[in-house]
Amino acid sequence: MSSTANQRQGRPSTVLTLAMLAFLIYFLLPLFWLVVASTKSTDDLFTTFGLWFGDSVDIVGNIRRTFTFNDGVYGRWLLNTLMYAVVSAGGAALLAALGGYGFAKYRFRGNGPLFGIVLGSIMVPTTALAIPTYLLFSKIGLVDTPWAIILPSLVSPFGLYLMRVYAADAVPDSILEAARIDGAGEARIFFRVVFRMLAPGFVTVLLFTLVATWNNYFLPLIMLNNPKYFPVTIGLTQWQALSANGGGGSTGDILPLVLTGSLLSIIPLIGAFLLLQRYWQSGLAAGGVKQ
Amino acid sequence: MKQARAGYVFILPFLLIFFGVLVLPLGYAAYLSLYKEQLVGGVTFVGLDNYVEALSDPKLHAGVLRVAQFFLLQVPLMLVMSLFFALALDSGRLRMPKVFRLGIFVPYAVPSVIAALMWGYFYGRDFGPIGQAFSRLGATAPDLLGGDLILGSLANIVTWEFTGYNMIILFAALRAIPAELYEAAAVDGAGAWRIAWSIKIPAIRSAILLCVIFSVIGSFQLFNEPNLVQRLAPSSIDNAFTPNLYAYSLAFIGQELNYAAAVSFLLGVVIVAVSYLVLALTNRKPSS
Amino acid sequence: MSKYGIALFTVGLLALAGCADSGSAVPEQPAAAVTQAEIDKAMTTPTTLTYWTWVPGIEDEIALFQKKYPAIEVNVVNAGQGLAHYQKLRTALKAGSGFPDVAQVEFQSVSTFSITKDLLDLRPYGAEEAKAKFVDSAVSQVTGGQGQIWAYPQDSGPLEMLYRKDIFDKYGITVPTTWAEFATAAEKLHAAAPDVSMTNLASGQGVAYMGLLWQAGAAPHQVTGDDSIDINFTDDTSKKVADYWTALNKTGAISTDPDFTDAWYQGLARGKYATWLTGSWAPAFLQSNAASSSGKWRVAKLPQWNAGEKYNGGWGGSTIAVMAKSTNPIAAAKLAEFLGSDPDVALMYTEKQQFFPATKATLANAEWKSATPEFYGGQKVNEIGIEASDEMRPFSWSPFQDQVYSYWQDSVGKALADKSDLWPAVQTWEKETAEYAADQGFKVQ
Repeated sequence: MSSTANQRQGRPSTVLTLAMLAFLIYFLLPLFWLVVASTKSTDDLFTTFGLWFGDSVDIVGNIRRTFTFNDGVYGRWLLNTLMYAVVSAGGAALLAALGGYGFAKYRFRGNGPLFGIVLGSIMVPTTALAIPTYLLFSKIGLVDTPWAIILPSLVSPFGLYLMRVYAADAVPDSILEAARIDGAGEARIFFRVVFRMLAPGFVTVLLFTLVATWNNYFLPLIMLNNPKYFPVTIGLTQWQALSANGGGGSTGDILPLVLTGSLLSIIPLIGAFLLLQRYWQSGLAAGGVKQ
Repeated sequence: MKQARAGYVFILPFLLIFFGVLVLPLGYAAYLSLYKEQLVGGVTFVGLDNYVEALSDPKLHAGVLRVAQFFLLQVPLMLVMSLFFALALDSGRLRMPKVFRLGIFVPYAVPSVIAALMWGYFYGRDFGPIGQAFSRLGATAPDLLGGDLILGSLANIVTWEFTGYNMIILFAALRAIPAELYEAAAVDGAGAWRIAWSIKIPAIRSAILLCVIFSVIGSFQLFNEPNLVQRLAPSSIDNAFTPNLYAYSLAFIGQELNYAAAVSFLLGVVIVAVSYLVLALTNRKPSS
Repeated sequence: MSKYGIALFTVGLLALAGCADSGSAVPEQPAAAVTQAEIDKAMTTPTTLTYWTWVPGIEDEIALFQKKYPAIEVNVVNAGQGLAHYQKLRTALKAGSGFPDVAQVEFQSVSTFSITKDLLDLRPYGAEEAKAKFVDSAVSQVTGGQGQIWAYPQDSGPLEMLYRKDIFDKYGITVPTTWAEFATAAEKLHAAAPDVSMTNLASGQGVAYMGLLWQAGAAPHQVTGDDSIDINFTDDTSKKVADYWTALNKTGAISTDPDFTDAWYQGLARGKYATWLTGSWAPAFLQSNAASSSGKWRVAKLPQWNAGEKYNGGWGGSTIAVMAKSTNPIAAAKLAEFLGSDPDVALMYTEKQQFFPATKATLANAEWKSATPEFYGGQKVNEIGIEASDEMRPFSWSPFQDQVYSYWQDSVGKALADKSDLWPAVQTWEKETAEYAADQGFKVQ
């Protein structure tokens, strides 16, 4: 990486800080509503002012109800999401690292056009194509299995792009030449030498795929029928549906659980970003600056 | 040639899965788009009829115009904000920069299902905080979910969700600018704004462009937010509100899978065209 | 794309083209009734059935079934509710795999699945005898054009008027029994309390509007043959309904907020709506959501168009249907029959799920009939429900009901929200629906 400026110029400005504070409130206010709403009973939710606490402040009770409702299926959804996100993100990052490195450092016929096709593919919206995908997956028995969620998430065109740019920048050709002269095979060079250099880019792709999979909504909605495979977004949507339709069995009493469940589901993601922020910043920097 | 083979081996795993989960379904959808299936009468080959019909479908036209309008309204606003925040963070003039960085970024981690739920409360005319503030002042609250304002209300949700994401990309790019580039300017007495305008922004031009292209795709494929808010504003968001929403309702409500596939491909063509247009426009600038 | 890529791609497509049609073969339905011996054999052979339903806590009812038929294992899957459930069911049926043996299908969606030949005609499996156990209006909704019985009713939703007694008392309103009285009361209330609306006719709820048409005696859609349908949204009855609500809506006496949203829930709990015209599942629903308004609500029958008449429509209610492609049709049909008509199950629905019953026996159950929930100030709400159920007219649904509602929302729903004249919107609704039907290959009358 090129030398970055660690010492930035200027003294802290109160005016700028205050201006930014106003924006910060805008970005955090809806989340504050979510926190407040998670402490309320169904009745308070509909009868008290949304941006302040109601008569009963019972977030512990709501959390307990969230985790015990429907035989504790929420905990299962949370674990499913974790599994899908970690496996997909890890796999996607690895595939992108391999592919990005291949595209960046090897010359072969079709390099440019292939890369172009991959990037071009994100231009076609896949929403309405979910049914063709479903029909295909159903032919090979993937529907209603975790693979129906994981396989499509393994392909991250943005990740491939990022890794290609990153590899071109972070892996000097001279090191590859030296390793080849030493007689190392290409696979060995990648895993022993190159992979470490790609780490920040790898973590960046990992994190962005993690968010994408964590928040994945449409694909699992179509692909999964059995609630035991649901990720948390679909599970919560299903709970919410109980309060969003008329007919026998519908109820609004479940809304506090939907809100509490939503709040809880965001927390692990924020944790992951905080923990890994050193890496993804430098990873993104390369992808953003060079083309 | 040994190297070329190694290159293929490296890209093979990605391409295999890419082929299986993206190219093949797209190919299948393309195949389907040449047919027509009726509830009564079954399947017939119709060639390009679906495309011809879609090209003159007023609902699709309206949807494309609407997302174009959305793009022009929302993207500049969001990217200017992102750029401003990134510059502020990078300037070192902000107290507690980490709090701001995380706070602005957090909405990106919120699933759009939940974002729609939260903003739905804020937009509520009777009991939402905005409506209540107006009625306390004795004024009539604007109907944020009504037909006139709905595009703006959706733009607000998208802005809320993605400003932080773009900010992080731009901020990371700013951090990568070698300090020498503008230390000299600072010594010459150039102010922070001037340095930002004439040194930093040009230096991260390609990062900005990346954000713009992502936004083109995001805007023209707009689906999640209108789909989720539709329940709250059924009369302002019809089933052809955006082209993607239209394709969705064709496929899932009307069982017109074949026509939906054609609409999706046409939308893909529009997005490619707009992306190239944006690239062409921005690439011309520096040379003039 | 490389040469190999193109070759692979072509192979893939050919494979697809070949297998795309394999799912559409429908087994011929047995013309003759299955014999008791066949039934006994099927019910004692170890079998696993998959049952898709969104009924909460259905496991208790399933346990009753398994007690009677220990050989049959029932795998209950809650794949989603309403539209999500149907989308998944439709896609799985199209794919030809992964679909259930038995599924919950709302009355209004039965035709949607029978037109694509995805439902099993239950007549050979004893439905002719079993149908006598259900109320006539429910049977009419599951009966096909050639007399097929496509499903067993599970619960019903005759329309009722839930009203706030405290609001009625405060403004001196007597409970309206005709729509004319309802309109007078609405204007009176509007003049006295502009913030309270007489009722909320939700602009996103085509189902509710359909229920009102149903009560008035309209017959918007009738499937008249395998490939012909009668679409008529614009007869005199429909015009009467449209004009009535146009008038009330234009003065602001009613509201048109989208229902089942946060704002609507708040409106219900805080007394923004004086009445709610809804299905008879609603009393139980309201009780669980608006605890703070306990004791303030009462239930009444829907107002009539002419004094002394007794006509009703419906909203909601589900059936249990068997998929035509099920490999265990006998066991599946018996499961559906049991879940629909077994007296213990039917009674359990009213206790555990608080369903409004669709069987005659449960409607006549003395204990259920005389329940006096405190939420309704000790009123015998089920007695009113029984009358509302008895007065339901027969009704038939279109084979693309979701699309009908979709067009409704973009035309009539929008006019409601805009407080404009409903009649032109109703005409648009009819035109678009008829065009869609013709495009789908129907002969439209």
